Amino acid sequence: MTNERDPIIVLDHVSKSFGSKPVLQDVSLNVAPGEALCLLGRSGTGKSVTLKLMIALLLPDNGQIRIGGENIDKLKGVQLSHVRRKMGFLFQSAALFDSWTVYENLALPLRRLTSKSKKEIDESVDFFLHEVGLISDKNKMPVELSGGMKKRAGLARALVLEPEILLVDEPSSGLDRITAAEIDDLLLEQKIKRKTTMVIVTHDARGARRVGDRFAVLDQGCLLALGTADELDHNGNAIVHKLFEES
Amino acid sequence: MFGAAAMIPRVQSLAFLVEIGPLFAGLLVAGRVGAGIGAVLANMRATEQIDAIDAISIDSFNILVVPRIIACVVALPLLTMFMDFAALLGGFCSEFVLSHITLQLYVTRAFMNLEWSNFIPPTLKTTVFGFIIGTVSSFYGYTTNEGAEGVGRAATNSVVVSSLLIILADVILVKCIFLIFPESAV
Repeated sequence: MTNERDPIIVLDHVSKSFGSKPVLQDVSLNVAPGEALCLLGRSGTGKSVTLKLMIALLLPDNGQIRIGGENIDKLKGVQLSHVRRKMGFLFQSAALFDSWTVYENLALPLRRLTSKSKKEIDESVDFFLHEVGLISDKNKMPVELSGGMKKRAGLARALVLEPEILLVDEPSSGLDRITAAEIDDLLLEQKIKRKTTMVIVTHDARGARRVGDRFAVLDQGCLLALGTADELDHNGNAIVHKLFEES
Repeated sequence: MFGAAAMIPRVQSLAFLVEIGPLFAGLLVAGRVGAGIGAVLANMRATEQIDAIDAISIDSFNILVVPRIIACVVALPLLTMFMDFAALLGGFCSEFVLSHITLQLYVTRAFMNLEWSNFIPPTLKTTVFGFIIGTVSSFYGYTTNEGAEGVGRAATNSVVVSSLLIILADVILVKCIFLIFPESAV
């Protein structure tokens, strides 16, 4: 769909191992600006590792990862920080800071990384909490939130700096179908309204089909298939077929 | 021995101020705070909270580790003084029960011939203990990668290694204090 434009995320022959166990093997893919790429695959096939490589929480053993033209795995300090500021990350467990309230979780990046006044920070936090439907829960501690609320709070925190790129790790894991669909709606809204580039790791083929423009299927660290829903529907590989058809 | 009882307050004050107060404060903080720092940071690592801080381009080391080390360095001398005070109060109470000594006489005897060098350097040496507790506990907590199992291991390692290093540092620092302040050697 968007292949004519310069890709904003490029993985170029990336490999990663933990000890002697290879997790990713020679994976190459790219994501165009405004595109939503869904990474599908069985557990332990390197999907979350791929996301962490994209934001340099992990470094590749081989290959290059370029974000907006910058080779992120070679960056350090301020330069790395500058590239990471373009990105938001929704973790599988939401990873909310458990000793701070929902409000403080969202305010932290604004306090640390922007020159906004207290009033502006309050307004930004309220705006994003309103977007995810948690405005009445802003003074709650993470432990007081349900799984779906944690995911929404994590999403609000990932969005609070208005990133160009949103990396989402298992948005529907551990959630019922209705709550998972609500999270998908929020992602879809983000994609349509703000044209945010997204990479979404998921097991949920139904949700992926709703939000994604293209789909990559990983198996045992290798890229099995990459393409649109239509292309994957006609892919002959049994694993691709099973993963993409499951709902 | 004749007159030995009169020496008890002085012996107590010397023991508490020079050695027992600083060392016990260090070991207690290593047990209580060191385990806490190790467990909290390891839990943050296991639940991806540290990754989340890094992902929003904030230096997690600066906001999680540095303040904890500074807090330990600042808190240890203050806790040591509190410990010294509590120990001397306990010493007075026991002496009062046994020999009905007055507070004024206890204080006079306790601080008789006591030098500042018997109090200031031993108290300040606990900043080193605080640094050891802060760095060791933070190291074990911050660098763990064993999930939930690593939380317990980080807490245990923090206490054990901090305590051992505190005892080792104490031996070295006592020698250094005696070299720098020879008058403090009794």
